[in-house]
Amino acid sequence: MTRSSTRWIAQRLAQMLLVLWVVATLLFLIFRLMPGNPLAAYIDPNFTADQQQALIHEFGLDLPLWQQYLIFLRASAAGSMGQSFFYHAPVAQLVWEALPNTLILVLGAVIIAFLIGATAGAFLAWKRGTALETAGISLALAVRAAPEFWVGMILLAVFSFSLRWFPTSGTASPGAQYASLWRQLTSPDFLRHLALPLVTLVLYLQGLPLLLMRSNMLDVMEEEFIVMARMKGLPERRILLRHAARNALLPVVTAFALVVGYSLQGYVVVENVFSWPGLGRLLVKAVAAKDYPLAQGAFLLIAALAIFMNLAADLFYTWLDPRVSYAKR
Amino acid sequence: MRSGSVGALPRPGQTWAGWRRAAGTLWGVLQHDRFAFAGIVIYALFVLIALSAPLLTPYDPQQTIISGDQLMANRPPSRAYPLGTTNVGRDIFAQLVYGARPALAVGFVAAFFVALIGTSIGIVAGYYGGWLDAVLMRLADVAFGIPYLPFVIVLVAFLGPSLWNIVLTMALLLWKDTARVVRAQVLTLRERGFVEAARVLGSSPRRLMLVHLAPNVLPIALLYGSLAVGWAILTEASVSFLGFGDPARISWGYMLQDAYISQALSGGAYNWFIPPGVCIMLVVMAGYFISRGYEELLFPRLRRR
Amino acid sequence: MAILALEDLRVEYRTARGTSAAVDGVTLEVREGEVLGLVGESGCGKTTLGRAIIRVLPRNARIAGGRIVFDGVDLAALPEAEMNRYRWRSIAMVPQAAMDSLDPVYRLGDQFNEVLMVTGALSRTDARRRSLDLCDLVGLDRRRLGSYPHELSGGMKQRAAIALALALRPRLLLADEPVTALDVVVQHRILKRLRALAAELSLSVILVTHDISVVAQTCDRMAVMYAGKIAEAGPTPDVFARPRHPYTMGLENSFPNLLRPQETLIPIEGVPPDLLHPPPGCRFAPRCPFAIDRCLGESPALRELEPGRWAACHRAEEAGALRIQSQEAERWRVPVP
Repeated sequence: MTRSSTRWIAQRLAQMLLVLWVVATLLFLIFRLMPGNPLAAYIDPNFTADQQQALIHEFGLDLPLWQQYLIFLRASAAGSMGQSFFYHAPVAQLVWEALPNTLILVLGAVIIAFLIGATAGAFLAWKRGTALETAGISLALAVRAAPEFWVGMILLAVFSFSLRWFPTSGTASPGAQYASLWRQLTSPDFLRHLALPLVTLVLYLQGLPLLLMRSNMLDVMEEEFIVMARMKGLPERRILLRHAARNALLPVVTAFALVVGYSLQGYVVVENVFSWPGLGRLLVKAVAAKDYPLAQGAFLLIAALAIFMNLAADLFYTWLDPRVSYAKR
Repeated sequence: MRSGSVGALPRPGQTWAGWRRAAGTLWGVLQHDRFAFAGIVIYALFVLIALSAPLLTPYDPQQTIISGDQLMANRPPSRAYPLGTTNVGRDIFAQLVYGARPALAVGFVAAFFVALIGTSIGIVAGYYGGWLDAVLMRLADVAFGIPYLPFVIVLVAFLGPSLWNIVLTMALLLWKDTARVVRAQVLTLRERGFVEAARVLGSSPRRLMLVHLAPNVLPIALLYGSLAVGWAILTEASVSFLGFGDPARISWGYMLQDAYISQALSGGAYNWFIPPGVCIMLVVMAGYFISRGYEELLFPRLRRR
Repeated sequence: MAILALEDLRVEYRTARGTSAAVDGVTLEVREGEVLGLVGESGCGKTTLGRAIIRVLPRNARIAGGRIVFDGVDLAALPEAEMNRYRWRSIAMVPQAAMDSLDPVYRLGDQFNEVLMVTGALSRTDARRRSLDLCDLVGLDRRRLGSYPHELSGGMKQRAAIALALALRPRLLLADEPVTALDVVVQHRILKRLRALAAELSLSVILVTHDISVVAQTCDRMAVMYAGKIAEAGPTPDVFARPRHPYTMGLENSFPNLLRPQETLIPIEGVPPDLLHPPPGCRFAPRCPFAIDRCLGESPALRELEPGRWAACHRAEEAGALRIQSQEAERWRVPVP
């Protein structure tokens, strides 16, 4: 790695941390400014007055706000985010358990959506001017306009309840045990549970790469080097795949970050439709149950996930395009 | 200065000339682009439905219907109940038709504010530059880092589940895209002669921004505004679906949540949960179509088609 | 003798506003081993001509008539699959904007290999060896094969484009404004190299340009094109010294000449005709200082005035006298219709 590239990565990491810090601070303020019992953020209202007082003191809630803030920062950085009311378990643990489920769903969906979307987009560009193209675009737009949870509901109704091909919720059938993560990921039972939420999310996400790829392909096909490739007597398919698609793909990959962003909205509702035990579902349950420590922890991790994935997308793009140098960015 | 040219200085007393010209161009787009026109037609249709809801159905969306001694629950579509009834006996068609009201209200109001805030910030940031620009853009960067839907959920739960809280939250977060693009446009406009000339002639910054810059960024504002309508409706639907919606209003999102928790899926009650989704889809698509028309105006692609 | 013969070639563009013939009845010959210059201003159809020969035209263009006889075969009538066998192997092009003619995401060496191995069916080792030879041939540093296009200077890219064009040893090279985008010093070097290569490889070249001085320097014969038609053609020295068409005379007036530095440059006033609705008579007539009534009504045919010397002008016989008159600046101030 060159010196400039490490410096760039360091810069981006610093930026990441900055944003994360801002988000954490915002969270802190929001939860402290809760109407009602200001202590509700950490105290379960079912405790007795003495117990509450003890807890208040233990959590330092009788300290001035700025001191609380510092404690909060330190605790969060160390990974301790309090105790969940609802589950009576450390927030960190609950959140950590939910994370892999979300990651699998989101990463899987983004990658598959990109592959399918980009391919379909290139295909539609190739079939330019035909009825197939118009139909394809309209379909892609329609799916993108539809609420993702509604699509999920339809899939659930048709494939789970009516046809009984897929299970209706969760990651696993009751009583399932797995020797390791890899075992779990590759087990047919898990995959059957994963299928519908994954398909739902993919359908939601594919619109952007598809339209973008098609648009870029149409632009690239007009470029001089494509015309030259034809003059060189190269077969059309080779031109399409190795030259047109390769060039058209680059800007689509920048949209990778954008798609990641969308997926990080989409999964929240999708997880809830399918009762997929990820961070999205955890957040919603926590907020609904007024379980503030858990909500806080889940939100923080979601934000961190989003920021991190954006960085990864940026790195990926820089690696792909030889014209972009670290210095320029 | 020829008054017909783009960006020419309006003569004294012609403050609105720029706006009038911009309005004319935008209206022209709607007339010429088939898709944009279709979008407007769809909007108009739904506005009509929303306004004439009482005429379209005799029932109130919240009303549980009792006929004779029986609660009309889970009735399939029939002449009396065009889309059937819910599991507590409410008419689905009535809910659908009245549901257009909160949908359009949220959509248009949120879109308006998003466009307004985004455009204003974009113009101010682009025009003044310097530290103001830097601060505003940093703010936008932070806004990018906050996950949208989770934040909306948290804020709505915190502020209380009302329609206007949802609109407020959306306006707080969605302005960044518009602001970025408007700012870029203002930066290019700033270099054009007419802005410099206006400044030399003593136009106050406020006048410059309002009379000269604003009409020129109007197409972009409208483009993102139309997109924002879709985002807003989808956000409201998602928030309602998750159970944080406004319980006093039956919106399409609320209908979907209702259907979901009432086992409509396992019961195969497609008549219940398909129509609201279709309506959402249509309105959002209309927004895409209209924005597509303006995109053509802003970034014309002469080579294709 | 003639490796390429265009017979009354016509190429049409279909636009929203109608059909226009960018190439309207062009008859031209290229002999084996010669460099033919094709001169004309922008929009006269010379680029379209080149693309028609290799038959890679935009979607809205088509060959509407005439023949393109290459080595005895009419290329215009060939089915696509057969035509493709001629591309690059027999006829190659050095494009106008070499900057854009290279795929930005592949290294130069890969692009060479692609042409050599896919179109040329060479093995990888042969391809690599040939790539190195080609670099030497055009004067390109061999190490550049490992570079991406954006890392090369304009001159290097142009050399690379020429090398690519010569990769499969074509018989005919179409060079479309190969040096326009470069500075004069580099221009000179590349043109010299091109001329030497043509001789060395027994290559025929059609050198398309709007710069008459390039033609003077590099071409054996030249043809002047105007508004889709050939105005004049013949051996370069003769066309320069004794132009037979008023347009050619005007062109020479508008380019500086070191031998006669005191002269003022005389531009040709007016603009070329709109090819959607071409005028009925001679296309140059509206701008021509010597136009007579016949010129406005009747389009002049391309005639062979002497062996190898062609012109399309009703008054070509009076060329001697007209030449002297064309030196006078006032004659060229024609009112634009």
